[in-house]
Amino acid sequence: MTKTVLDVSELPHAVLDHRSPVWWGNLLLLCIETAMFALVIGALFYIRQNFTEWPPPKVDELPVVYNPVPFLNISTLNLVLILASCVPMAWVDRACLKRQEFSVTLGMIVVILCGAAAIALRFMEFGSLIFKWNANAYASTVWFILGLHLLHLFTGTLELGLLLSWLMIKGLDVKHARDIRVTAIYWYWIAGIWLLLYVIIYWTPR
Amino acid sequence: MPAAFLKTAVLNEAAERATLEPTWERPSGIVGWFTTTNHKDIATRYIITAFVFFGLAGILAMCMRIQLAFPENTFLTPDRYNQFFTVHGMTMMFLFAVPIMEAMAIYLVPLMIGTRNVAFPRMNAFGYYTYLFGGILLYVGLFLNIGPDTGWFSYVPLAGPQYSPGKRVDFWSQMITLTEIAALVSAVEVIVTVFKQRAPGMSLNRIPIFVWAMVVAAFMTIFAMPAIMLGSGMLAMDRLTHVSTHFFNPAEGGDALLYQHIFWFFGHPEVYIIFIPATGFVSTIIPTFARRKIFGYPVLVLALISIGFIGFGLWVHHMFATPVPELGQSFFTAASMMIAVPSGIQIFCWLATLLTGKPQIKTPLLFVLGFIALFVFGGLTGVILASVSLDLQVHDTFFVVAHFHYVLIGGAVFPLFGAIYYWFPKWTGRMLSEGLGKLNFWLFFIGFNLTFFPMHVLGLKGMTRRVYTYTYDAGWGTMNLIATIGAAVMGVSVLIFLYNVFISRRSGTLAGDNPWNASTLEWAASSPPPNYNFTFPPAVQSRDPLWDEDSLIRVIGLKSNKRMALLTTIMEGAPDHHYEFPEDSIWPLVLALVVGGGFTWAIFSPWAIPVSALVTFIVFCFWFWRGNEPKSLTSQGQKHRLQPKLAVKPKAA
Repeated sequence: MTKTVLDVSELPHAVLDHRSPVWWGNLLLLCIETAMFALVIGALFYIRQNFTEWPPPKVDELPVVYNPVPFLNISTLNLVLILASCVPMAWVDRACLKRQEFSVTLGMIVVILCGAAAIALRFMEFGSLIFKWNANAYASTVWFILGLHLLHLFTGTLELGLLLSWLMIKGLDVKHARDIRVTAIYWYWIAGIWLLLYVIIYWTPR
Repeated sequence: MPAAFLKTAVLNEAAERATLEPTWERPSGIVGWFTTTNHKDIATRYIITAFVFFGLAGILAMCMRIQLAFPENTFLTPDRYNQFFTVHGMTMMFLFAVPIMEAMAIYLVPLMIGTRNVAFPRMNAFGYYTYLFGGILLYVGLFLNIGPDTGWFSYVPLAGPQYSPGKRVDFWSQMITLTEIAALVSAVEVIVTVFKQRAPGMSLNRIPIFVWAMVVAAFMTIFAMPAIMLGSGMLAMDRLTHVSTHFFNPAEGGDALLYQHIFWFFGHPEVYIIFIPATGFVSTIIPTFARRKIFGYPVLVLALISIGFIGFGLWVHHMFATPVPELGQSFFTAASMMIAVPSGIQIFCWLATLLTGKPQIKTPLLFVLGFIALFVFGGLTGVILASVSLDLQVHDTFFVVAHFHYVLIGGAVFPLFGAIYYWFPKWTGRMLSEGLGKLNFWLFFIGFNLTFFPMHVLGLKGMTRRVYTYTYDAGWGTMNLIATIGAAVMGVSVLIFLYNVFISRRSGTLAGDNPWNASTLEWAASSPPPNYNFTFPPAVQSRDPLWDEDSLIRVIGLKSNKRMALLTTIMEGAPDHHYEFPEDSIWPLVLALVVGGGFTWAIFSPWAIPVSALVTFIVFCFWFWRGNEPKSLTSQGQKHRLQPKLAVKPKAA
């Protein structure tokens, strides 16, 4: 019996952009993470209402610090580094489209180094904070926000590392070129959300 | 540009099936059991597990009703009673109501949109195992007599380190985190599957309302669930020795009300995450049994979406007894009343469909009619509770208990039973018994009202929630006894349901592909559907394809020796490109065990987090590497290497 059919045999087997499911999966993941950060920021400002001095003075040990605002030096350096790492990431992204395997490899190595440096700087940021996480609610929230973002730095860097090792062992196929492009979006998000968090943590108490 | 095109051809179903069968077959035996990524396997387990938890929570409820049947009863100790009402609430919300709606989506959505599996089948399996782990964790706690005892919302300061020492509340928070990971995973699955894998021709205005409902609920999950994960995580950190943060500790500038805000920012949308899928069942069952197309499709879809938005603006109405600013109270009262508008619109559309159709009173429709009656009643008490002054009078009384059981059981469990009677033939190939079904319905309906109607009166008389007993002279004995009798009737009804499932699965009437003569695509697959769902996936030209089209257009040209599906564009559902699903894998199970083990360990030590994160990454590497060879790419020529250009030749018109 003859039937009307839709022949799709000539359609492509892989695409590199927003038409692929994993692109959408990543976008929804970012929605989840953004909602999470929005709530933590809300919590920070909610807690702020409970303090007459913001940040609250450090009085648990001598010398007393009346205005323990977090220092700007390491944190600003880290912000610049994280934002700057988007440039090689964008370069990798472009190179994936043109499927230039060498450029992709080189660019990814640069981004991973940036990610590792940002993680190291983040630990120095923790060290430079005058208050510990269990000092008061303000301190807990600041540590929590820094820690949550650190978690994403780890995830992004390790994910790129995994993709890089695939790339170096097996070469650049369409599927993984697309995965790298999707990870690039994740990376831009890590940088973008950090700009916002940086301003909130380091500048709003000044 | 490459294109898909229509032509006429002779379909050789037998030959196609012969290659599809081995491609989609899951490995045999225990290996297959633990590695399967087929959405129907996973969803069936989800549904059965959720019903097991429903039974357990029901037993806890029955124990509570026995305790409350007589004044000054001593059936349960106060401590046991606290654990029972807490675990009952948690189970019903986190282990039954939300997961079973997700499970129904995971089973039915791919069939209803005409595709072969969900978008990320391994993530799907991971989600199920994580949920299972969370559920087991909670009951291990309960059986060791260290079950949580601070209510399903675990308010601080009661749940904080000062007033709840020990580990009971930590079981609460870790179970929450695990089940919400599962909920988020399935939400992402559902949205991406619906966005990308719809049958060609299924534009946005042809998506079945059930699928719309699942998408709206999934979006709500994505924005609501992070709140509870955050809240439970922060509570766990406040409680954990050596971490001891102060998020909710007023002595150090923390805030107990902040916890309530975070909790209800999740908690209220949660109600709609349960209720919206249930309206999806209703909007599917009514047209089938009214024998006409649904009345007001665009309005119903818009109502669902607006409930999705307004649902996020109501949370403070759970906090009217706290010092919320008056302007805030007015705002949230207004929003709470506003949500009655889209809900009302839905009800009028359903009534219009029923009244202008020729309703056939079969069991699924019976449950839907029961739903309409009970939900309208529960909705009305909801409007009462939205008013600040009235809410203050009945806050924390049995009036509230009555209200939310009317909306949750009336609004979600009745449609769910209807849905199970409706889709059981698709799942098993056999019909559930109509006679037992009607008995199931009437006993459940009568038992339900006997149990929960008197609670309104008890609440108005001043009986507060969560008291383990009451005195003789309170005069609440008779109505409590009636409620307990009602609960027993409901219990009998559920047993009849289980018996019905048990016997019908073996010896029910054979159903055939489309026993109800319904209009949506799942009925175009055989009953039960094969692993690959459709031999030739369908394309659609209308909203009710099985009613409007004499013969469905079929998709050809997908490779059948690989697990392939066709992806389509988001708006129009135009054919776009091929998609290969990953192979079955053991790693989702292993990852779930690592994540679950890590969170369990985190009850005792903060070192669990970095260590389990590291192990998670290692497992993830295996997940990523093993079985990750894109077969359809390797066959295109140079192994693994990219072609200079994508292997696509332009189509001559």
